[in-house]
Amino acid sequence: MIERALNATWVLVGAAGAIGAWNMGLVTPSGPESGLFPFVASVLVLIGGLVLLLAPKHRALDVDWPDTVGWMRVGGVVLGLSVIALALPRLGFAAAGVLTMMILLKLVERTGWLQSIALSVGSVAAVIGLFDKLLGMPLPRGPWGF
Amino acid sequence: MDALTGLLHGFQVVLQPQLLMFCLLGSVIGTLIGVLPGIGPLAALALLLPITFTLPPIAGMLMLSAIFYGAMYGGSTTSILLNMPGEAASVVTCRDGYQLAKQGRAGAALGVAAFGSFIAGTLSVIALTFFAPVLGKFAISFGPPENFTLMVLGLVCTLYMISGSPIKGLVMVALGVLMATVGIDVVNGRERFTFNTVNLTGGIEILALVIGLYGVTEILSNVERVVKSTLITEKVRNLFPTRDDWKKSAMPIARGSGLGFVLGLVPGGGPITAAFMSYALEQRLSKTPERFGNGAIEGVAGPESANNAAVGGGMVPVLSLGIPGTPVTALLLGALVIQGIQPGPMFIQQQPDLFWGIVASMYIGNVFLLILNLPLVGIWVQLLKVPYRYLFPVVLLLSVVGTYSANKNVFDLWVMLGFGVFGWMLRKLQYDFAPLIIAFILAPLMEQSLRQSLVMSRDGAWIFTQRPIAVVICAISAVLIGLIVFKPRKNVPTGGDL
Repeated sequence: MIERALNATWVLVGAAGAIGAWNMGLVTPSGPESGLFPFVASVLVLIGGLVLLLAPKHRALDVDWPDTVGWMRVGGVVLGLSVIALALPRLGFAAAGVLTMMILLKLVERTGWLQSIALSVGSVAAVIGLFDKLLGMPLPRGPWGF
Repeated sequence: MDALTGLLHGFQVVLQPQLLMFCLLGSVIGTLIGVLPGIGPLAALALLLPITFTLPPIAGMLMLSAIFYGAMYGGSTTSILLNMPGEAASVVTCRDGYQLAKQGRAGAALGVAAFGSFIAGTLSVIALTFFAPVLGKFAISFGPPENFTLMVLGLVCTLYMISGSPIKGLVMVALGVLMATVGIDVVNGRERFTFNTVNLTGGIEILALVIGLYGVTEILSNVERVVKSTLITEKVRNLFPTRDDWKKSAMPIARGSGLGFVLGLVPGGGPITAAFMSYALEQRLSKTPERFGNGAIEGVAGPESANNAAVGGGMVPVLSLGIPGTPVTALLLGALVIQGIQPGPMFIQQQPDLFWGIVASMYIGNVFLLILNLPLVGIWVQLLKVPYRYLFPVVLLLSVVGTYSANKNVFDLWVMLGFGVFGWMLRKLQYDFAPLIIAFILAPLMEQSLRQSLVMSRDGAWIFTQRPIAVVICAISAVLIGLIVFKPRKNVPTGGDL
C-alpha cells in the first residue's frame, strides 16, 4: 500500500516536473534553455514511477515495518526534531536543545528525570562550548541572552 | 611534475605542525565515528563540512579525507567486539570477527584488521600516487562533450553496481538531478521549482539532504527497536597476530588490497561492495570454506583490507577526473566546489599543493591510524560501553547544529527532517540512496557540460557522436545499460552509505 502510494508519487512528481520544465522552455536557437535538464530528469522519474507501479517484480519483499512501540519511538524522534526546528528561532539553541534532548531521553528512551536533565544540560553546554565558543560558529540565542 | 617529485612536494606541503594536527584530528574523528554505531562517515563529513569553510582548503580537505579512511579502520572494532557494524563497510566483518572475539581471540581479530587496513591503505595510496596523475594527464584533452559523457558513465556505473532494483536506482538518479535543479539557474538567473519561496532560491542545501538521508534515517532505523548490547567486555590482549594468523591472512590482505583498489575506481563500487566481494572471494578460494562464519581470520583480513583499499581507489576518479564514485567522495568533491576549487581533469595541474598534499597526508594518516587502532584500542572499547540510548540524542543535536550552521536558516532543519523520514521509508522499501546523492552533486556540472556541448555544436546532440573519446564512453555506457536490462543480477549489498 505504502509502496504503491510512493510509486504513484513518483509519477505525479515526474509529470509535474516535466510540465514545469516544459513551461520554462527546452531549446531555443541560441542553445538549451533552463527547462531542458529538469525536463529530462522529470521524464525519467515519470517513466521509473510507471514501471514500478505496473511491474510487481520491482516491489520490495518482506518489508519490515515497526510495531506500535517502534512507531511511537520513531514518532518521538520526529517530534523532538520538530520541536527544535520550531523553538530554535524563538527560544535560542540552549533552551530548544535542552527541550529536544528531554523529549528524546524521557519520551523515547524512558530515562530517569535526573539522568535526562543532567545529560540534556551537559550535552547542550558541550555543543555550545564546542561550536559557539571554540569554533566561533554562533548559535541562536533566546530572549534571555543565551 | 612526475609522481615521485609530486609526492615529495606533497610531503613538503603537509609536514607542518598545523596540517599534521588536522590530519591527526581527522584520523581521530574518523576512528571515533567508525567505532560508534549509528553515525557513518558520510553524516560525519556533512556535520563537519561547515567547520572547514573557515579553514584553508588544504587543511579542510586533509581532515575530511582522514575522516573517510579513519572510519574504515574504526568500523572493525565495533564489528568484532559488538557484532554490530560501526559503519556499513564493516558489516561483513561481524561474521567472523565477533566469532573470534567469542572464542577469546578478539585481540588477534583487531590486530589483523588494523594491520590489514594499514597495508591495504598504504598500497592503495601508492597506486593512487602513480595512477591518478596519468589519468589526469590523459583527461586534460577532455572538452565539455567528453566531460558530460564521462559523468553519464559514472551514473550508469552506479546504477550497474547498486543492489536491488535498477529501476529504483534510476528513479533515485533522476530525482537527484531534478532536486539539484531547484533554485536559480546560474546561466540566465531564472528561478526553477522555487515555488516563490526565498528559502529555495539557493537550491536544496546539500548538508540538509545528506544529514537527513544518512544521519536522521540511520537514527530512525536504529530507534525503532530496543536492541540489547552484545559487547564482549573481556580485556583485549595479544593484538599482534601470531605467525599462523599472518600465514592465513597474507594472501587475503594482498587480494583484498587489489580488489578493493579496483572496485574503488569504479563509480558505485566503493568500500562496502569491496568488503562483501572480498569475503565472497576468500570463502570461494578457501580449502575449508565451512570455517567462514565460525571465526575464520581470513574473513576479517580480506574485507577489512578491501574496504581500506577502496578508499584510495575511490580518490583516483574524484581527484583526477572530478567524477565521484560514492556519496562520500561526492561530498569531498562538493567540499572542493564550496572552497571555490574547480574539480576535474585540470585539478592536478592547477592545484598541485592540494592534490599532492592530500596524497601525502594519506600516507601519514595511515600511520596515525595504525597507532590509534592498536595501542589505543582500549579507549575505543571504553567508548563502546556508552549505551546507544544516550548517544543518539547527542548525534541528533550535532545534526541540527551541522545543518543549521551552513546557512543559519531554520528551513534547512525542516528539509533535514523531511529527508530523514523520507529516507527511512525509502530504506524500508529497499531503495539505495547512493545514486541520488551522486546525481545531486554531479548534476550542476553535468548541466553545465551539456549546455556548453550544445552551444559549441553545429549539429545539436550529434556532437556526442563526433568526438572519438565521447563515442567510446557512450558505447561503454550503452553496454552497461544493456547489461543492467538483460543480465540477471546478483544482490551484492552496496549499502549506499559510502
